[in-house]
Amino acid sequence: MKKQDKILTIILIAGLFVFILSADLFFDSYIKRVLNLCAIYTILALSMNLINGFTGLFSLGHAGFMAIGAYVVGIFTVPVEMRSMVFYLKPMHPLIANIELPFFAALILGGLLAALVAFLIGAPVLRLRDDYLAIATLGFSEIIRIIITNAQSITNGSLGIKNIPPTANIWWIFGTAFVTIVFIILLISSSYGRAFKAIREDEIAAEAMGINLFNHKVLSFIIGAFFAGIGGGLYGALLGTVDPKNFLFVLTYNFLLIIVLGGMGSVSGTIISAFIVTAGQEWLRFLDEPLSIGSFDIPLFRPGFRMVVFSILLMLIVLFYRNGLMGTKELNWDMLKRIGSKFSFKRPKGGEAK
Amino acid sequence: MKKVLSILLSVMLVAIMVAGCASSKPSSTPAAPETIKIGVFEPLTGANAAGGELEVEGMKLANKLYPEVLGKKVELVVVDNKSDKAEAASAAARLIEKDKVSAIIGSWGSGYSIAAGNIVKEKKVPAVGASCTNPLVTQGNDYYFRVCFIDPFQGTVMARYAFNKLGAKKAAIIQEVSNDYAVGLASFFKAEFVKLTGDPNSVVETSNYQTGDNDFSAQLTNVKSKNPDVIFAPGNFTESALIIKQAKKLGIKTPFIGGDTWETDEFLKVGGAEVEGAVFSTFFDPSVTMTPESTKFLDEYKKAYPGKEPAAVTALGYDAYILILDAMKRANSSDPVKIREALAATKDFPGAAGPITLDVNGDAVKDAVIKTVKGGKFTYMDTVKAK
Repeated sequence: MKKQDKILTIILIAGLFVFILSADLFFDSYIKRVLNLCAIYTILALSMNLINGFTGLFSLGHAGFMAIGAYVVGIFTVPVEMRSMVFYLKPMHPLIANIELPFFAALILGGLLAALVAFLIGAPVLRLRDDYLAIATLGFSEIIRIIITNAQSITNGSLGIKNIPPTANIWWIFGTAFVTIVFIILLISSSYGRAFKAIREDEIAAEAMGINLFNHKVLSFIIGAFFAGIGGGLYGALLGTVDPKNFLFVLTYNFLLIIVLGGMGSVSGTIISAFIVTAGQEWLRFLDEPLSIGSFDIPLFRPGFRMVVFSILLMLIVLFYRNGLMGTKELNWDMLKRIGSKFSFKRPKGGEAK
Repeated sequence: MKKVLSILLSVMLVAIMVAGCASSKPSSTPAAPETIKIGVFEPLTGANAAGGELEVEGMKLANKLYPEVLGKKVELVVVDNKSDKAEAASAAARLIEKDKVSAIIGSWGSGYSIAAGNIVKEKKVPAVGASCTNPLVTQGNDYYFRVCFIDPFQGTVMARYAFNKLGAKKAAIIQEVSNDYAVGLASFFKAEFVKLTGDPNSVVETSNYQTGDNDFSAQLTNVKSKNPDVIFAPGNFTESALIIKQAKKLGIKTPFIGGDTWETDEFLKVGGAEVEGAVFSTFFDPSVTMTPESTKFLDEYKKAYPGKEPAAVTALGYDAYILILDAMKRANSSDPVKIREALAATKDFPGAAGPITLDVNGDAVKDAVIKTVKGGKFTYMDTVKAK
């Protein structure tokens, strides 16, 4: 990294810090909520991209890992005195009824538990490839959800848990997102990351080069699941409530959408598209409001229209950018400078770059 | 070809953006003091769109009938929560921060209401749920109210019906375990039934199924072998209709009873002749006018939607709106905190779906209606008084 780029990066990080500080102080709770959701989706999409984009394993089990993280945070951070109120049908299991953990510990525990489950699932399942792996992981994520639904004395079953303390503020969430981004970038550029990419490109060639396929696949799967658990924990804490219906397999497609849109195998692409997809859906809300020209109400503008438009925009991107916005490329200062010099009459603008 | 397409699409995009600016301007700069805004967040797309749509229908009808309060125009701001919890929370935050609503109505589906609960509590804007029946919605939240009764009451009503009217001594439960509503109903049914019979083993079997299942032979064979006098099967309408159908095929003659979710056309369509005689509790029946407001609601509904019977949740959506208006009148203010205080003091308010009294939790204490399927139609049987 050149010295100039280093300085630019430090300025960018400082700029982001100032941005979050001002967001925390001046933005209203609606905008903060959308920003928080963007950052949480960044964590989740990045962890999925590590498995799907960088290692080339077509896994669709993300909602399940998220559910584990969210539930661990839900179960262990609800204050003990409120528990009998939440678990009103069937009291909480006496083993865990009096254990209350601080938010950070619960978050890490959720990530670790998700990683453990990923290890147990991954060991047999990662011998499969492509579509078979997708189906098997999808199945496991549903199994996790159904176990949660039926373990009434631990998870409160389908009633869900509420009163999760709102610890997850903008600092927590953006801080975690930052740590995740840095960790994934370091991992990708380490020898492990290069091995992941080699497996993605050609398994046989990678194996011939001395890469232990199975170990690397499981490692990538476990790390991905760990961050999915962390992301899930933040998601649960942001909402203040979890229930099994949150984690239907459809949720996984949100992240699949983000990584396909941003580019399978691009960290910066994932970050950009997580923000675009999440904030974009909110921004398009004006399409749901009735619009009239003079006294004529245009019949198209009614609830649901924004999703139609959103889908059309997605199809366009997939049609014209076959590899997503970034492909496997990363946004770096050289690229920004090049874009900057192309439009030299405009000042170059830095995005979520690294 | 590609170029033409891309130009076309860019034009479309720009058009949308322009439309966005055009539409957001008038809504953000109306003469602010002249209107009072009531926010509505409902699932209008996604899995629960049908339910949300029905509730909004009732609110719009009420808005047409009572467009003014305190000499100001009332504007309904309807936002979609996409049948998604995160989206529901954002939608509620948007209503409060961006639209500056005085009160909120919603949402179909208790999970979405719970997700929005934290925000209304923190921002001190009262919310009134129309048909969210999970007790957790209002529990520990001073700013959430509802105009419907809750799961415990409905389960209790059906247990009493089974014991007193059917003379049942043994009951079996088949519950949709992935549905908070069904689990709640089933557990309170069991508690009350055991209390009434005085026999801790009077509920002989509890079988579970998941949303979306369509073969219930295992559960039904289990239930059949225990030979109960009545089968309580709270759950989604499609699955419930299938259960009853398959039970008849297996030769089970035991009567089936359930909850308000059965009151849909799909239940009749899927179940056909087999659901004949099924009994369930619900909120409202068009044939029994519970208050003068019911007549008014029914007349207006017939005018607005000729040839359609109003659903119970439509009446509840209507009630949620008029209750908020009434609270504004009583508080003589559109200040959210004052509205909350007035709402909390609601007593014997004449709603379209029966008189409403709100208890300390903010839950409505009101009568339940018992209906049955007769001649391929839902028919009124009885009204059960809330104590």
